[in-house]
Amino acid sequence: MDIGTIVAGLLTLAVFSFLYRDNPVYKAAESWLIGLSIGYALVIFWQTTIIDLLLGPLFTESRYILIIPLILGLMMFSRFSKSISWLSRIPIALMIGAGAGVAIPAMLYARTLKQMSASVMPMIENGSFRIEAIVVVVGVISTLAYFYFSREHRGFTGATAKLGTYFLMIFFGATFGYTVMSRMSTFIGRVDFLLTDFLHLIK
Amino acid sequence: MDRLKTRWLIFSGLAVVVVAAYLINIKFKTEPSPATMKAYEFIETLPESSVVMFSFDHEASSLPEIQPLALALLRHAFKNDLKIIGLSLFAEGTAIGYDLMTETAAEYDKQYGVDYVFLGFKPQYISAILGMGESIRRVFPEDYLGNPTDNAPIMSGVDSYDDITMVVSIADGDRTVYWVEYAGARYGQEVMAGLTAAMITSYDPYLSSEQLYAVVGGLRGAAEYENLLDQRGGGARGMLAQSAAHLYIIALVVTGNIIYFRNRRRRGGK
Amino acid sequence: MRTKIPLLICLIFGVIMFAQYFSSHELALSVYNSILEWWQIIFAFTLFVGVAAFMKNSLRGISRGKDTPYKIISLVGLILMPVLAIIGGTKIGSPFLWSFENMLAPMQATVFALLAFFVASASFRGFRARTVSATILLVTALIVLLGRIPMAEMISETFPKVTFWIQNYPSMAARRAILIGIGLGSMTTALRVILGIERTYLRGE
Repeated sequence: MDIGTIVAGLLTLAVFSFLYRDNPVYKAAESWLIGLSIGYALVIFWQTTIIDLLLGPLFTESRYILIIPLILGLMMFSRFSKSISWLSRIPIALMIGAGAGVAIPAMLYARTLKQMSASVMPMIENGSFRIEAIVVVVGVISTLAYFYFSREHRGFTGATAKLGTYFLMIFFGATFGYTVMSRMSTFIGRVDFLLTDFLHLIK
Repeated sequence: MDRLKTRWLIFSGLAVVVVAAYLINIKFKTEPSPATMKAYEFIETLPESSVVMFSFDHEASSLPEIQPLALALLRHAFKNDLKIIGLSLFAEGTAIGYDLMTETAAEYDKQYGVDYVFLGFKPQYISAILGMGESIRRVFPEDYLGNPTDNAPIMSGVDSYDDITMVVSIADGDRTVYWVEYAGARYGQEVMAGLTAAMITSYDPYLSSEQLYAVVGGLRGAAEYENLLDQRGGGARGMLAQSAAHLYIIALVVTGNIIYFRNRRRRGGK
Repeated sequence: MRTKIPLLICLIFGVIMFAQYFSSHELALSVYNSILEWWQIIFAFTLFVGVAAFMKNSLRGISRGKDTPYKIISLVGLILMPVLAIIGGTKIGSPFLWSFENMLAPMQATVFALLAFFVASASFRGFRARTVSATILLVTALIVLLGRIPMAEMISETFPKVTFWIQNYPSMAARRAILIGIGLGSMTTALRVILGIERTYLRGE
């Protein structure tokens, strides 16, 4: 067994110790994880963005226009000084504005219009009646009615909203089922590591 | 029974059930879902040397579930001599994606730069997805190893989504949504997903509206795909333990409700 | 000034990126590509600011004697990764990648694996068929849990068929409605941000 597997196994057991109760071994492993995660991200961000997209083109290709995003990026650090912290709003405003600008057409097409059009399905297909077409339309409209708060949920609106609640419960139930599946899979993966690579109980 | 004892009983029960089931090595034949079948058929029918982009958009926390899935898809692509461009829109996915691609490529004697390349990571995912619609080189002037992207033979003639047949997003969160909403909606790029099971229901509307081509989900999806490839991997290995865990949870829910209704009846009686 | 300049910048860049969607003119594409590049670079600096803030808080905590050992452990981990990357690079077989594969990834995966136990505990304690809504949720969850295991398929093909039907139609319909709602809300918020009505991003310095 190599040293890497031993280290991985011991750290895995340290984290699992939390199941007994919160303890110094778990806390130490958690702190180590936090430090490593931040350090890892620091390296990746520096290498893939600052070197590749900024310093490389700036100094080797003489793309001096990149001094502008460099200055804007450095402005972010003004947050640490109360007197000039307002400067950090400028690069943030640029990012927020750009993000909002590209989001509008994306949200309109992909999340609204396309989803609305897909909700209308043919009721008769290959000569047979499809109950699913009605289920989907009724489901979408009733769930939207549930989230429509500009009108009191009484009478017909209330009944539709109530039906929407039931559709939401079906969605939450299905999501819960799949979430359990996902969490169990992650646990099974760690069991596989411990039994196979760490303890050699399985080949 | 006091709360702490109940908790430990439940925890111990789960551990015993899963470990015992895992020690029993039984292979299940898992019928593929329609979405998994669609993903498989797409890759199977692609002409040799078609370019496919794999985006590792997940964290290390979902690795046990995502890894069998990613390996199955990569193996299928390499087996069919497709060209693979890898990248990541999640910092942790970078090392994982690079590792998985390199190890899988070695299984099929594939050469870095010729048969596959790993471009690396870019932190602002929307900017990266949109930027690649115009020029992949502009977003990734160098690959993960620091080589100029232009120098890689695989990148010859490939510069935007026009030259990419399919984007396969291996994700444990919402990154695939951005692929669909930005690359798909704006540039007409076909997107397929390999997802953790927890995300499956969130992507059903995109699958239904055909904005997402196909979805292979969770450890079960990996087992289905391995079955189609006639290979045995982490997915198939974990199916008995997965089944046992599900039955354990069902038993807990049913038992909890029986106790609840019995206590309610007793309180109602008094 | 301190508010007007950022609002003006937000308006300008928002309008440019929105308008560019409808133009394939060379100049428009050139401006678009440049903004995407600048956005990428500035975004990277946000992490460095976060790292600086983390180090500042950790050092402050150490000087006050609060959770000192744990804060020192985090700082050592933070410094270790860049040092390893400088010494050995980031390729296969490097100490940096070794640390990721044998320390970071296993710990991250195990933290997530803990959730399996808490899900089991919550299933026993909290999942009660108290009302009609709760019963529907419970029954759907049980159907999905049963329908997705190979054993159920061996008993009857009905299990997976029912599961897929629930997933593809009623569950999907509810999720679609949520998506449509989010889409409409996101568009409105984006418009408000560009026009300077929504200014929450200017706070928190």
